[in-house]
Amino acid sequence: MAQQSALDLDGKPVDPLKAAKGKIAVLVFLRRDCPVSSRYAPTIQALARKFSDTATFWLVDPDKNDSPSDIRAYLDQYQYHLPALRDPAHALAKSAHVQITPEAAVFNRAGQLVYDGRIDDWFIEVGRSRPAPTTHELEDAIRAAAAGQPVARSEVRGVGCYLSDLE
Amino acid sequence: MKLRRIHVATLSALTALSLCGAPLARTQNSPSPTPQVTFNRDIAPVIFHSCSMCHRPGEAAPFSLLTYSDVKRHARQIADVTRARTMPPWLPEPQPLKFADELRLTATEISLIQRWVDDGAVEGAASDLPPAPKFVEGWQLGQPDLILKAAKPLTLPPQGTDTYWNFIFPVPIQETKWVKAVEIRPGDKRYVHHANILVDRYGASRKREAVPGTGFGGMEIRIESQVFDPDSHLLFWKPGTVPVPEPEGMALRLDKGTDLILNTHLQPSGKTEIIQPSIGLYFTSQPATKLPMLLQLENDAKLDIPAGEKDFVVTDDFTLPIDVDLMAIYPHAHYLGKDIQAFATLPDGTKKTLIHIPNWNLNWQAVYRYAEPVRLPRGTTVSLRYTYDNSEDNPLNPNHPPERVVGGNRSSDEMCHLWLQVLPVNFDSTKGDPRMMLQEALARHNVQKNPADFEAHYNLAAMLQARDQLDAAIAEYEAAVKLRPNDATANNALGAALVAAGHPDQAIPYLRAASNNHPDYFDAHYNLGIALATQNDFSAALPEFRLALRLQPHDAGVEANLGAVLAQIGQYAEAKSHFERALQIDPNQELAKENLEALQRQMTSH
Repeated sequence: MAQQSALDLDGKPVDPLKAAKGKIAVLVFLRRDCPVSSRYAPTIQALARKFSDTATFWLVDPDKNDSPSDIRAYLDQYQYHLPALRDPAHALAKSAHVQITPEAAVFNRAGQLVYDGRIDDWFIEVGRSRPAPTTHELEDAIRAAAAGQPVARSEVRGVGCYLSDLE
Repeated sequence: MKLRRIHVATLSALTALSLCGAPLARTQNSPSPTPQVTFNRDIAPVIFHSCSMCHRPGEAAPFSLLTYSDVKRHARQIADVTRARTMPPWLPEPQPLKFADELRLTATEISLIQRWVDDGAVEGAASDLPPAPKFVEGWQLGQPDLILKAAKPLTLPPQGTDTYWNFIFPVPIQETKWVKAVEIRPGDKRYVHHANILVDRYGASRKREAVPGTGFGGMEIRIESQVFDPDSHLLFWKPGTVPVPEPEGMALRLDKGTDLILNTHLQPSGKTEIIQPSIGLYFTSQPATKLPMLLQLENDAKLDIPAGEKDFVVTDDFTLPIDVDLMAIYPHAHYLGKDIQAFATLPDGTKKTLIHIPNWNLNWQAVYRYAEPVRLPRGTTVSLRYTYDNSEDNPLNPNHPPERVVGGNRSSDEMCHLWLQVLPVNFDSTKGDPRMMLQEALARHNVQKNPADFEAHYNLAAMLQARDQLDAAIAEYEAAVKLRPNDATANNALGAALVAAGHPDQAIPYLRAASNNHPDYFDAHYNLGIALATQNDFSAALPEFRLALRLQPHDAGVEANLGAVLAQIGQYAEAKSHFERALQIDPNQELAKENLEALQRQMTSH
């Protein structure tokens, strides 16, 4: 039975845009079996901390086979201190236009999608990454949204694993 | 006589894979000229052959590819990475000289995967599914004769740049052993990109550990090895490596006191990882009868790459002085390396590509073994030609924006190395060890290529000295000392050669420099003692032999020489005790025997 809305780890439906309560909402889509997603854990955690005053971060797991306890164990291993959602029917992913893990979506305070795509340009392709990223699309998008400005570069796709492979 | 060089050594390689195109059979109940591609019939054979050995629990890959549902969960990703030839990881272009373990999908296989995904990644008929691949669990060659485990694990932080760490494995053997195979278990294979074993016969690496047993950092390490017993094996691990025994007669010698150094390249995973490698050794009673050698072509001195330079070419060409069989090849560059080529030009002008990697990636560097040894006759020129990209277009450029990069050991420096494992063939064994001809030719080549190459001068000197070309050897040692005036090894060798040539007076300053720069250097004190004693300066020789004896308390030669010096200055009682001690250690110590007899005659005549 596909669940149409996203669920928190206690099984309750959650609308992260409403829950953001006037803050910017950032959804980061991850797969536990996607090594690129995992390598981003410290980056994502650091971004959430950096923008804690202006943005609410959510981790979103689009894998319908993952149980809440699988996800809790993963958050613990990777030392995440962020709320996580399950998106088994990819309802959130579709509204965020996300196709790959890891990718992020940024919704402004009005709840409009202003950015979806890669976090930065660290990975060039699967198995090939720069020593450090040279562009920071997600961070730029959050800053622009916070300032009420248009996002300069939207929809730069990520490198990693396809959500469509989970359907 | 020691020389410093990098030793990278391997017995291992990937499983031999025969990559056959999956059948394009026409389905019976469909009139379509392009039948639907199914997992069970078309895709499973490719995955089982070429992916599953790494994509299974406990192996290097991040997820398993063993069943339809495993593969379905990554179908589009697999289509992408196979089309881009990122996976399976195999860098060399196809060439006439075949490698033993080629891991390249055919164009047919790649297009089948694309079609399968485009058609909806269907499973197909259960009856079409081939048997699941079988893998050996645990140690791949059975229980090793000796298992070494890193004394202390390394804690790999969740993020940061790649880590290069060296684990030291003392080998607890009491006598020389011959190793026919080595299995490297690098710890958690998912986070180790590659690992190399280096043989340290002198315990030099232990001095680099801040805390014993913890190992030490560093991407490229240099370990002294015997110029007359050069390193000869490439002991290498990369994901998917299955160890293979060395060819008959090519066992690796391990002596008591030898350390194995595992040089690892580790990549952060996003969480803290604990890495504790182990090594399994398989012994044979058969000592080595065939002695291969690692020939290193390089041209680091030419690496001075301006910022922004897109096509910086470095070459090296070495002409073989003897016939060899080329067994394996190992190219190495860092993050600016772009196009890596090696070729051989035979005496008749035929050119053979030895390897060509058009899109170098340090993360997938490997030792490549040839399916059959490649005969390279005397007079063949082996060449490397590496192209480097230090522009902003190279996404792996360690500097952003680009900066000038020179040769060096750090990962942000660059390298231009090519190792060839060669086995001398068709040689006349009465004319000495053919490896020495190779060493001498290589050293001569390196001296010409780079007159500032200290090791080349030193090695050439050692080879000349071995052929009793003392004057020529002295000239080369002098060149080495001029390049590194504080190098204890070179000063000692020059001093020893001067003593041997009958110039102890000229030798003394060099031997003093050697012992001053390295106060625990046995050879330097011993040789200085000899030089001083030859000059009849017995009182100066005495403390040198005493020091030497303290450094090596069981050396019959020092005991005998110390006795001789004491006798010269009239300290007969102590002299006698040292002659006796020398004969206890070695009853055939001639100097001690003669001197003791002379001393006894003298004492009875008084």
